[in-house]
Amino acid sequence: MTSNPTAHSTKLHSEIVSFGREIFRDIGEEQPSAFNKNYWTGRIMEWSMTQPDFKTNMFRLVDVLPSLQSSRAIAAHVHEYLSESAKHIHGLVEWGVSAKPNSLRGKLTSAVVKQSVRQMAQQFIAGETPSSALKQLRRLRKLQLSFTVDLLGEYCLSEKEAEVYMNRYLEALEVFGKEVPAWKESQPIIEGHPGEISPVCVSVKLSALYSQCGPLNYTKSVQVLSDRLRSIARMAKENNALVYIDAEDTAHNPIIYEVFRTVFGEKEFLDFPYPGIVLQAYARESEEILYSLLSFAKERGKPIAVRLVKGAYWDAETVTSNQNDWPSPLYSIKESSDANYEKLSRVLIDNHEYVLPAFGSHNIRSLAFACCYAKEKGLTEKDFELQMLYGMAEPIARAFSKRGYLVRLYVPLGEMIPGMGYLVRRLLENTSNESFLRHTFFDDAEVEELLKEPHLQD
Amino acid sequence: MKNESPLDFTIAHNRDEFQKTIEETNVRISQGHYKATPLIGGKAITTPHSEISIDPSDPDQQIGEVWYANKEHCDQALKSLREGAESWSETPAAERADILRKIAQGMRERRNELSALIIREAGKPWKEADGDVIEAIDFCDYYAHEMDRLAPKHQTMDVMGEGNYYFYEPRGLGLIIAPWNFPLAIPCGMTVASLVTGNATILKPAEQTSIIAAVFAQIVLEAGVPANAFAFLPGDGEDIGAYLVDHIDIDVICFTGSKGVGLDIIRKASEVKPGQRNVKKVIAEMGGKNAVIVDEDADLDEAVKGVLYSAFGHAGQKCSACSRVIIVGDAYEPFVSRICDAAKDIAVGPSQNPETFVNPLIDFESQQRVLNLVDEYKNEHNLAFRGTTPHKGYFVPPCIFTDVDTTSALWNEEIFAPVLACCKVSTFEEAIHVALKSQYALTGGVFSRSPKNIELAWKKFRVGNLYINRSITGAIVCRQPFGGSRMSGVGSKAGGPDYLIQFLEPRTVTENTMRRGFTPELI
Repeated sequence: MTSNPTAHSTKLHSEIVSFGREIFRDIGEEQPSAFNKNYWTGRIMEWSMTQPDFKTNMFRLVDVLPSLQSSRAIAAHVHEYLSESAKHIHGLVEWGVSAKPNSLRGKLTSAVVKQSVRQMAQQFIAGETPSSALKQLRRLRKLQLSFTVDLLGEYCLSEKEAEVYMNRYLEALEVFGKEVPAWKESQPIIEGHPGEISPVCVSVKLSALYSQCGPLNYTKSVQVLSDRLRSIARMAKENNALVYIDAEDTAHNPIIYEVFRTVFGEKEFLDFPYPGIVLQAYARESEEILYSLLSFAKERGKPIAVRLVKGAYWDAETVTSNQNDWPSPLYSIKESSDANYEKLSRVLIDNHEYVLPAFGSHNIRSLAFACCYAKEKGLTEKDFELQMLYGMAEPIARAFSKRGYLVRLYVPLGEMIPGMGYLVRRLLENTSNESFLRHTFFDDAEVEELLKEPHLQD
Repeated sequence: MKNESPLDFTIAHNRDEFQKTIEETNVRISQGHYKATPLIGGKAITTPHSEISIDPSDPDQQIGEVWYANKEHCDQALKSLREGAESWSETPAAERADILRKIAQGMRERRNELSALIIREAGKPWKEADGDVIEAIDFCDYYAHEMDRLAPKHQTMDVMGEGNYYFYEPRGLGLIIAPWNFPLAIPCGMTVASLVTGNATILKPAEQTSIIAAVFAQIVLEAGVPANAFAFLPGDGEDIGAYLVDHIDIDVICFTGSKGVGLDIIRKASEVKPGQRNVKKVIAEMGGKNAVIVDEDADLDEAVKGVLYSAFGHAGQKCSACSRVIIVGDAYEPFVSRICDAAKDIAVGPSQNPETFVNPLIDFESQQRVLNLVDEYKNEHNLAFRGTTPHKGYFVPPCIFTDVDTTSALWNEEIFAPVLACCKVSTFEEAIHVALKSQYALTGGVFSRSPKNIELAWKKFRVGNLYINRSITGAIVCRQPFGGSRMSGVGSKAGGPDYLIQFLEPRTVTENTMRRGFTPELI
């Protein structure tokens, strides 16, 4: 029987809307802690969203803080960045932003500020080391949430630094492999779900494993990174862990995809369960990349996992292409990325026998689309998973989890200095004018508006 | 004005095309396709003396034969240009500007081939070579645009009964003495600035990169510069360069190169000889000993990356390159340790390899000079890192000296090689003070996240081009007009709004418009 495509899409749309409404209803008045105004982070977010100057200065201050040693230096920076804003923002003054750096008040200010930023970071970063993160990871499992761990690091500028980074991954796999399976919470959240073959999962940022990685060193980058990924994959196998390879910027992605195909296409790793790769919907080439991943999975004969995200390098890539007068490799309008996300979601779901789709987003419309389209195609909750960032949207994660979906949180670990870069990106994401979370939890946008079908523009 | 876009090497197709052109150019090189001869009155002249231009990455490889002009050729060229100068100066500025746009187009059409020649003859790595070509194109487009701006005469003040007009005229004959480190961009920029302003122009290229310059000279003539408005004279700088600088027919000299030669030119050019029409105008860009300040609160990821590229890109052979780093307080240890580690892993190799970061120096003489200097300096200073190099080619290893005494020669003399000196200071103010303890003032850099210190650097760190929180090389035409003061040069910034004026002589004409009791304004 052939169905009328318009009627079909109307039916799907109304299902998405009613499903989305249910999710919103489940969330109710609950707020992610990032937006809770009783906490420091929440107040900063509120001021950032209402005062653009404050936002720039505050985020720059957050970025520099961990590199400051002395309380005098901290107080001086607080003063330099925030004393202007203090004139307009009630409440800032009580932090002592106008105190003289050497004064007792200035020193107290620095202690308070450093402590507060540390707390803010802890909201998005689960710990400095694998061992120190165990408590938080266990808490997630208790909440019926799965996880994948990412290791934050500084730029990898030398092979010495690459080796340190590599060893951190190997160590993480060992620690998690030893500790996590022993927890009673490590019982599969959904019995028989491929994402729950193992409770241990890591996400690898490949470019950090080779200091000379880049397009002008393409062949050697692929060769060196393939070697290094093999070591990680072997360690993962030994510890029965799942692995995702993160996507990065346009300069590195071709190398990353080639390394992924090289290693996981090898005989040694054919039985590696659901090796994961990331697809960025904001990239104009993403559809093409998806089809090449699908043919890889078919050739391999065993499924791979594909995490579909919108993409996290939009600002940096836009600046690069703008400064060089290159056509942007990314959609310039957010709605286009959202529309493309749904298009790619369909392809993933239509091909679920070759891929385990993992929908990574905080956008309820995007996730509702995936869930409803999957249902329409006869998929069950065992055929895909949802992914979100640790600390970003707990109420959304819990709402989906309660409805029987497997929700995996992307959990970063790392020290303060590299952690700040990550923290600032999260803060930006929450406070951006385009942020779904901001619209949902801060601006109180209409549910209809939030669940509207996105269209491809540019 | 829009800058030419750099080639996007992240795209595989672009890399493949580029590689293909290098291979095609290599074939032509091996067939003896490229040569440089003097061009006088539009004609190629074969001269009694020739030299072979070679590849610094592999000195056994010849790039082409260079026929050296001698003093007689200089005289012939000057005669031809004297004949052509007037008509070129009277060619409408808009026409001259259009010819520059054609020169730009000519280079665009041969863009990758020019890059390939730069890779082979000047030893620049891929990205640097492409950057050289687009800068040359930018100079043509920008100076054409600038000439359009400067050409119209304008009324100084509107006063009844008189017309007051201010306008620019060419100086006469321009002499361009070019360096090898930007073998296309700099000779091109200087030459087209002189041409578009209406000066008949001689280009005397650097000996080491005469082949690239010869291709450029050919493009200049093909674009429509009249045969007797432009002469190309490859040859020995000490011989014909000096002869031309002294010559009474030269009106403006535009030089980029070492401080020694630059000051020599300025001195010689100031001597007026019998029969000389003009006091010679000299524009000289001479070098630097550029410092980057790494503040205690700097983002070390960015600072290490930025300094590494500024110091070792094109093997430190840029006048804008970083050769001194001043690190504030606690940032010293981690910065030095990370940059030494990072320097160990960057690729030192032949320029044709796409991944090459540190290429060879330009010639044997430079290589020996730098190797000897490093040997000498390592007895007095702490050589914290010394890299390794391939055996073949004029390579010198990247070197990093630490705890360098700021009164030493290592701290103060330009080396023009991948040699970096680091010192520690306790405050940002002291860092600026130490940075300025230099005879040069070309570029400088600051990595800091303190708004107060950044503001201080704006005010006090007086160098021609100051870069904040980024690398300090790679100035872009029009966007970042480039040039320094003190011993870094005389003249205003290349690729900037005051550059062309230096090739021009302003004139004022006042006309009394009142005749027999009536004036046009009142009719």
